[in-house]
Amino acid sequence: MSASQAVFSGWMEIPDSAVNDEARQHAEEATLAALVSQYAGTLYRVAFSVLRNPSDAEDAVQEAFLRVLRHRDTLDEVRDQRVWLIRIVWNIVLDRKRRSKTRPETDDVAELARVLPSGGLSAEQIASAAQHHAHVLSCVEQLPVKEREVLMLSAFEELNSVEIASVLDISESSVRSRLFRARNLMAGLLNYERSLR
Amino acid sequence: MNHPTQNPIADNFSSGSGSRTGEDTLRLIASLPAPEGLSDRVQARLLTAPRSGRVLAWPAAFATHSGLKRSEWTRPEWMRSEWVRSAAAAAIVFVVVGGGWGVYSRVQQPQSAKVIVLPPRVAAPGSFANAGAMRTPQTLNGPVLAHPATAQPPVAKTPAKSSAPIVLNPAHPGKSAANKANVQAVAPAAR
Repeated sequence: MSASQAVFSGWMEIPDSAVNDEARQHAEEATLAALVSQYAGTLYRVAFSVLRNPSDAEDAVQEAFLRVLRHRDTLDEVRDQRVWLIRIVWNIVLDRKRRSKTRPETDDVAELARVLPSGGLSAEQIASAAQHHAHVLSCVEQLPVKEREVLMLSAFEELNSVEIASVLDISESSVRSRLFRARNLMAGLLNYERSLR
Repeated sequence: MNHPTQNPIADNFSSGSGSRTGEDTLRLIASLPAPEGLSDRVQARLLTAPRSGRVLAWPAAFATHSGLKRSEWTRPEWMRSEWVRSAAAAAIVFVVVGGGWGVYSRVQQPQSAKVIVLPPRVAAPGSFANAGAMRTPQTLNGPVLAHPATAQPPVAKTPAKSSAPIVLNPAHPGKSAANKANVQAVAPAAR
């Protein structure tokens, strides 16, 4: 090897730090891709249960993963990634819903009739079921915020009370008491509405 | 026409208690499947997102193109050292603080006026001028307090220079040394 070749090869030598950075970056990308494929559906359902709009829910999921990308250095420190991701998307959708309070309310009945599974029902039955669901959801919206959040998160079968407590950053006993109050309030609201008819 | 209670879904919800129907609706919504291709769209969005989450990313224009791959030449070696970054951060802080101090030192605080200057009175055209006379308001003649310091000072009792000889009081023979001296001075004359 000539002297110029030696100098040139030394000049082009890739430092160890660069190799480590690239390996670490590849590992982070692989972890992130695994998180997306594993939990994107769960996060979408959480977002949709609050926003009830498919495009908004998908935007919220994308924003949640963008936040994960920004804080990918701390991925190793996360103990339960599923609960952590649900907590991120939960905060995002609550923030979005708070900001969209000024917007006019969308027609929830039509949206529900389009989104909810029909199950071989006629169009009239679908419309009736959607109307019923919209009525139930309007009663849910009348609940206090704390009780409503617990009730909505309890609808997810993959979340137990400990995980709900972790998402909401409260104790498990608070989750149970709030859920009890929410159920009582919901029963009262629905029975009151039924008695008015 | 079907009655709402004939709807199997509605019947299912109305058969239970009120809270049960609400939870069933929420469960139905929570169990909705995610749309097709959601993961792919999220992945694509993540790939197009900026990789660097740092506040100050080093511009690629300063990188040395040494024939390495892009991920390697985006930051040259000397920029990776911590002390260079610290020095750059210190320089930025110095410039910002210096600029702020320069602005602060140039801007003088307006001093509040201690004397109220009245505008000069301009006589209306065709009227008499006051010729510079100023009206001085008359003050009331109140009681004049006699200050103790300004009261009549007591008259100092200086010994009168009389030609009469000092008579020695026999009751107080030795009142003072001065009196004794006077007595001794006057006594030969009396003799």
